[in-house]
Amino acid sequence: MNRFVDLILGIRAVLLREMLLLKVKVGRFGYVFYSLMSPLIYLAAFGFGFGSRVRFDGVAYELFLIQGLICMTSMNNAYNLVMTSVSFGRLSSKSFQSLITAPVSPVAIMAGLVLSGMLRGFIAALVIVGAGTLLFGVFALSWLSVLALLLNLMFFASLGVVVGLMIRDMESSALIMNFFIMPMSFFSGTFFPIDSLPGVLRGIVTLFPLAHTNIIMRAPALDKPVLVSVLVLLLATLMAGGAGVRAMSRYSE
Amino acid sequence: MILRAQGLRKAYGRLQAVDDVSLEIAAGEIFGLLGPNGAGKTTVIKMICTLTRADAGTVRINGHDIRSHALQARGALAVVPQENNLDGELSVVDNLRIYAALRRVSVAPNRIRQVIGEFGLEDKARVPVQKLSGGQKRRVMIARVMLAEPELILLDEPTLGLDPSIRREIWNIIMQIRQRGTAILLTTHYTDEAESLCDRVAIMSRGRIRHCGTPQELVAAAGSFVLETAAADGCRVFRLFGDRDAIAREIGMEPPSGQYTVRAARLEDVVAAVETGS
Ligand SMILES: Nc1ncnc2c1ncn2[C@@H]1O[C@H](COP(=O)(O)OP(=O)(O)OP(=O)(O)O)[C@@H](O)[C@H]1O
Ligand SMILES: [Mg+2]
Repeated sequence: MNRFVDLILGIRAVLLREMLLLKVKVGRFGYVFYSLMSPLIYLAAFGFGFGSRVRFDGVAYELFLIQGLICMTSMNNAYNLVMTSVSFGRLSSKSFQSLITAPVSPVAIMAGLVLSGMLRGFIAALVIVGAGTLLFGVFALSWLSVLALLLNLMFFASLGVVVGLMIRDMESSALIMNFFIMPMSFFSGTFFPIDSLPGVLRGIVTLFPLAHTNIIMRAPALDKPVLVSVLVLLLATLMAGGAGVRAMSRYSE
Repeated sequence: MILRAQGLRKAYGRLQAVDDVSLEIAAGEIFGLLGPNGAGKTTVIKMICTLTRADAGTVRINGHDIRSHALQARGALAVVPQENNLDGELSVVDNLRIYAALRRVSVAPNRIRQVIGEFGLEDKARVPVQKLSGGQKRRVMIARVMLAEPELILLDEPTLGLDPSIRREIWNIIMQIRQRGTAILLTTHYTDEAESLCDRVAIMSRGRIRHCGTPQELVAAAGSFVLETAAADGCRVFRLFGDRDAIAREIGMEPPSGQYTVRAARLEDVVAAVETGS
């Protein structure tokens, strides 16, 4: 019981710090622009450009696009917030030292960081949902897509912690962005179905967690293939979470 | 004992930064770690506060092993590092709030205001920390650990680069902390600081503790008198002697060419002797 209270208080403290840091950042125009403007531009450009003349999987393109952008935007926001916060705190401001030397368990630090990333990614996703409704009169959320969104947020926030703990300098974060996150966001079914890809590429893409988010996001019902995608994301989250806790408890400068 | 560190070692590549360091600090004691740049003082502090993993050795804080009971050990200790590690974008108040939450001390808002007042930071309370001067940042970092009320405080170079009046102010704060029964481990380059604050000091050089004791004991052991002479190139040469007779004999055997001075030794002379390896 006591340990549970400790855990909750630890999570709360970590979350408080992230939220205060986020509040400062949101005040800067460039920050909001970077995290929300580009998906909104994609939404308007491709949405008006192709409109309902194009249909994928029997769905009007607007809906397809909005759902893809929810996946992509939530990924980017959850991952980036946490990755930047951890790596900046470790390598630049050194304020990560205050977390690591506090009487807060690695599990609580991990959970607090992941929750903060999820929260920000969730808000960004809601902006996309709202924009989709306003611009195209399409409300994109079903209960399955909310599940997809939560799984996506949880995995990419956890990945953000792990990458933030591992990188040696701030430059390598750009490398990971350009070689992993960027291609993933374009090929995982955000703008067009994965089926349009040639066989080999399709095989590679099914290894991308974001591809599974897209599958769940657009599924009409929780059938067997969708369940597989859910399990893949859960497993990936478990692995990232475990790696994060492990790296945190072995932390040494 | 509040702190019991035994056989600490840390190597960075080929460099043995800390080599078999052991320390014990009692409740309410102020212990000073003295030594030149690169002696390994900060590395010792980082190993004690669990920021750096020791290659070997154990640390117990108030009986809690820092490895097996990390959370209890961390709860009993607070550290003011050599380099500022505040969240620069956040205000003084927010930095204190976060620290209090992390330390799990439920502090009323007026307690934070009170600490800010004690440290003369009222007009900076809402200012982002990155806009403060070096001395103000240092005060925020010390104010922060005051919220936690730990049993042991680690202060790494608490007065480095501060002006004399703030140095005195920080000395006063350190004395006040001791009055509450809190033990302090501080590192410093300033021997006057160690002499006026510390109950015991250890002199470190190249990763090892060379001498440990009260400042008076160290001076007595190294030699209570100093013979200061001028070498041919004009440099001053300091040598420690146990008593005046030994100095008289030395001068009799080898009269100094220029002027010379004989005076009572200070801790500074002992530290300098360790640093030059004599
Ligand atoms: N992270 C690190 N990687 C490699 N070498 C390190 C690292 N940290 C410290 N060192 C080396 O270990 C030695 C001891 O450093 P430390 O910072 O403990 O000295 P110090 O006594 O605190 O010095 P100062 O008085 O300058 O603060 C130095 O030679 C330093 O270069
Ligand atoms: Mg140092």
